[in-house]
Amino acid sequence: MSEVKITAESRSDFGKGAARRTRRAGRVPAVVYGHGGDPVHVSLPGHELMMALKTANVLISLDVDGKSELVIPKAVQKHPVRRSLEHVDLLVVKRGEKVSVEIPVNIEGELAPGGNLIEHVLNALPVEAEATHIPESVSVSVEGLEAGASILAKDITLPKNTSLAVDDDTVVIQIVSAQAEAPAEDAETEEPAADAAAEEPAEA
Amino acid sequence: MLIPRRVKHRKQHHPNRDGMSKGGNELAFGEYGIQAVTPAYVTNRQIESARIAITRHIRRGGKVWINIYPDRPLTKKPAETRMGSGKGSPEWWVANVKPGRVMFELSFPNEKVAKEALTRAAHKLPMKCRIVRREAGES
Repeated sequence: MSEVKITAESRSDFGKGAARRTRRAGRVPAVVYGHGGDPVHVSLPGHELMMALKTANVLISLDVDGKSELVIPKAVQKHPVRRSLEHVDLLVVKRGEKVSVEIPVNIEGELAPGGNLIEHVLNALPVEAEATHIPESVSVSVEGLEAGASILAKDITLPKNTSLAVDDDTVVIQIVSAQAEAPAEDAETEEPAADAAAEEPAEA
Repeated sequence: MLIPRRVKHRKQHHPNRDGMSKGGNELAFGEYGIQAVTPAYVTNRQIESARIAITRHIRRGGKVWINIYPDRPLTKKPAETRMGSGKGSPEWWVANVKPGRVMFELSFPNEKVAKEALTRAAHKLPMKCRIVRREAGES
């Protein structure tokens, strides 16, 4: 995975007022920590950071006041409606070091005919990988699988130097049969009884 | 319809409608979802109506998740009653939904039909909504 270079500015003003001023200026407040060092509070350019974070577990070469550090995103806070970046936690890593990350699971292939569904029990697979060689995603083939089949963590082929951080028997993908449609009359016939119950809920 | 089996207090104050949703803002189970953009109280009847709209449109071959639960009672005094004499009787059960909350999720193989089903369901809900989709590579 290639590195993304971002220049950060250290910040000394804290609290919601300062954070909002930073965001109004098109920057994102962030904190950098790891390896037992003191946390460093920085602000990053909003657009560059947003583009970098489109890749899961992106490796960022962060330049803070002339000092360069390798970091990966640890926690990303987004606005619930606007989806803009509010704050980012960045974890300091070293070349060759193993880190625990979650990588997205991509599905390939078509299920056997019969209208079955793919259920993602794990949307992201926890793995341990070298910080500078974190895989972008893992692919899982569901070609021809029937309802009731499942894909376990141990069934997934991982790239070199990557190991699972969960039990081998953890279910990642399940193939389930489709839900039966609720009979059309159900809702109408149930309503009067339910309304009566709504009048008098049991009090603890 | 969704109704709590047992409650600690039969009559409660109105739930606070300020602020944004704190959790449940991302798709957790399905491929598509309905996200609230404005705050509202969603009654159990509206939830049921939206659920029926989805299941009838997709017919079969899908799975629906409901992420909100109507656990707050709202009371109402009878018509033409003088003020006083205590709080009215419970009339509705509502879920206090704040902006950002993903209320319904759907797994369905056909994207067009899934979005149509969720749009129909969104019309049954009392707030402005948008349809969200899980992006490739999103964790």
